[in-house]
Amino acid sequence: MTTIAAIGTYLPVWGSQLSRTIGPDEDAVTLAVAAGRAAMVARPDVSVDAVVVVSRHLPLIEGGNSAPVLAGLGLHEGTRTREVVGGAAAMLDEITAATPGTLVIGTDTSAAAGASAVLCDTGGTAVTGTGRVTRSLPVRTRDQHGAVTDYADPRLLRERGVVESLARLGTPTAAVVAGLSGRDAAALCAAPPAALPTLGASATGFAIAALAASEAGGTLVAVDQATVAIAELASGPIAVVRDEAAPQPTPASSFTEGSSVSISLPAYERAFDAKVRLEAARCASCGTLSLPPRLRCIECGHEGASERVALPRVGEVYSLATVRVPVPGLVTPYTIIIAELGDTGVRTIVKLTGAPAGSVAIGDRGTLVLRLVAVRQGVPDYGYGFLPDSHEVAA
Amino acid sequence: MRRVAMVGAGMTQFGELFHLGMKDMLPMAVSEAAASVDKGFDRADVQAAWFGELVTTDGFATGILADTCGLLDIPVSRLENACATGNDAVRHGTMAIASGMYDVVLVVGADKVRETSSRTTFWDWMSMTRDAAWDFPLGLVAPANFALHAARYLYESPHATREHLAMVAVKNHHHGVTNPKAQMRFEITVQQVLDAPMVVDPFGLYDCTPQSDGAAAVILVAEELADRYTDHPVWVRGTGLGLDRVMHQHKRDMTTFPPTVKAAKQAYAMAGVGPADIDVAEVHDCFTGVELIDYEDLGFCEKWGAAGLIESGATYVGGRIPVNPSGGLKAKGHPPGATGVAQCVELFEQLRGESTNQVDGARLGLAHNIGGPTAVSAITILGADKP
Repeated sequence: MTTIAAIGTYLPVWGSQLSRTIGPDEDAVTLAVAAGRAAMVARPDVSVDAVVVVSRHLPLIEGGNSAPVLAGLGLHEGTRTREVVGGAAAMLDEITAATPGTLVIGTDTSAAAGASAVLCDTGGTAVTGTGRVTRSLPVRTRDQHGAVTDYADPRLLRERGVVESLARLGTPTAAVVAGLSGRDAAALCAAPPAALPTLGASATGFAIAALAASEAGGTLVAVDQATVAIAELASGPIAVVRDEAAPQPTPASSFTEGSSVSISLPAYERAFDAKVRLEAARCASCGTLSLPPRLRCIECGHEGASERVALPRVGEVYSLATVRVPVPGLVTPYTIIIAELGDTGVRTIVKLTGAPAGSVAIGDRGTLVLRLVAVRQGVPDYGYGFLPDSHEVAA
Repeated sequence: MRRVAMVGAGMTQFGELFHLGMKDMLPMAVSEAAASVDKGFDRADVQAAWFGELVTTDGFATGILADTCGLLDIPVSRLENACATGNDAVRHGTMAIASGMYDVVLVVGADKVRETSSRTTFWDWMSMTRDAAWDFPLGLVAPANFALHAARYLYESPHATREHLAMVAVKNHHHGVTNPKAQMRFEITVQQVLDAPMVVDPFGLYDCTPQSDGAAAVILVAEELADRYTDHPVWVRGTGLGLDRVMHQHKRDMTTFPPTVKAAKQAYAMAGVGPADIDVAEVHDCFTGVELIDYEDLGFCEKWGAAGLIESGATYVGGRIPVNPSGGLKAKGHPPGATGVAQCVELFEQLRGESTNQVDGARLGLAHNIGGPTAVSAITILGADKP
């Protein structure tokens, strides 16, 4: 048995009420970090000592996804991490097996994009796995090169996949179903279930959050093609923080073909911690903050030891430039912003995110959020984006 | 310190010189400079050369200059200092003679921006000016680099608007019409500038310099030798070079270019003059808003006075302080390594009364570059009168 203390959710701002899509500066990692941060905001008293990321869309199959997840969440590099390939059922398995202090994050970039993070701890609301069936009916396939094949027979999947698997588990009546679209989900429930914004791993977190809203608990069914997991959620409160801004239509943009933005991996490695954790160097002599961290203090010239300190994630636009001309390898238009962070006097140069290019002005305020700055020779290069204040996180 | 005289100056056409390579442009510019020397010039007299070039487009830079210009028996050094390369190369040539080490020095600047696709130019040239990890992946292309300054300038200035930026383009295009070496020899209107497609806010297409190829050369000699070459030398009166924090996020006040202020202070002090003494100026106008900020940084007007200055017509030829009679980078073109040297070519002609867009009675001229990620400026002050 696991007990759940909090859930954080994140939906990209782009798309419709029914289905969100990621922006060009988002991927499964940035979505995971946004949801994880929401969960940690919901229960800042819970200390996280393990992170599990469940997804079918992790960008680096050869490894390297967990480091930006930990850095983006502000967790110590010694935190245990695991990356699990899977959908809603796998996410439920990870939650029901989680130990206290584990943050289980489901993150999906397609077909409907979103992420949810379930923070497990002692003394929360219990969730108990009550059954599982693993079967094969691969009506949709994606091979190691990304090629997708769709068998395109939803009735087959429903009858011989989901219904048959549930029959082997005694045909439980679900309160909510993760991994199926509205009508198919409703057919498994006594009362109309909550509509969920995603269908992959993150759907399970959204499902638990929906159940938690009533504090009544109930049976949760999570479906991954013909593989099904079920669990019982006890009645009780769960703190939920939703980072789900109202959807906006995706602005017109164009991608210009061209050579990939090049990268120096030594430069990437040297910058990684400060860049992805948004940390400055504080001079040991005069206390001045430098971003990027540097050997010689930008103010007093002291050289040598400095400590890393987290920077405030709120800022104000000092100046900006909106690039409208095509730039090979990039999506245009985009807005570059020099933002002054809190009252530190530190400025950083970032791109606008979560709002159409050109929609901010000098003096506007916003928050800094982890984003995919570029993909450079195949390497996701993470940094921060400026999210204007019209975007609000609802608790 | 010995006085330094400029006795010859020449340049190629600026433009999209697809038909010419670096190995063609360099000898063309050097030969034109040699031909401009009133009493004749034997290039065997050259004792050392400096070559300003940002990007090597056709092989080993100094060797190409020596090889293609018949200078294989003298030392040649390459100098790169972003868009300030040209005037910094002139500064190095000046130092070489002033120090007494050499008596006759050749200074050449050249670049071929159009040697690669216009689409990829942004990336081809951006790696020179951006931090590889922090700024490079953002797509902080050259116009954005300066737009960050212009946007803040327009925000803070009580007077300046996009129309004032447009007026700079209109003036420099007007000046460029008379310059046979200019890339863009046509008049434009404020409305055309405002209506042009946006490149990077607040710069539309006509607010931006074109992409250019070109080369320029000047010949510097020691005071004692000037008579041998001409009765009308132009004197290098002052030079300066200033730097600033490299990253935009570290520039506290983006309504000014501190490198320009520093370089100007040095050059004015060395020449023993002030901004009011300058009769004609060739300043860096890679983007229109930059020229407005230059006016203030160089002391041609007070802070926030630039909008009024351009509006008054004072910076047209015939005005109080004519700026960019050659057409500037905006109309003449901007092959970065050549740009500063070509500014000196224009001033050489102005101060000898030979320019195609002559400023009446010009005795003192100033050439100015600002570049890199707006972190370096070089200035040369030339005079018709021996100091």
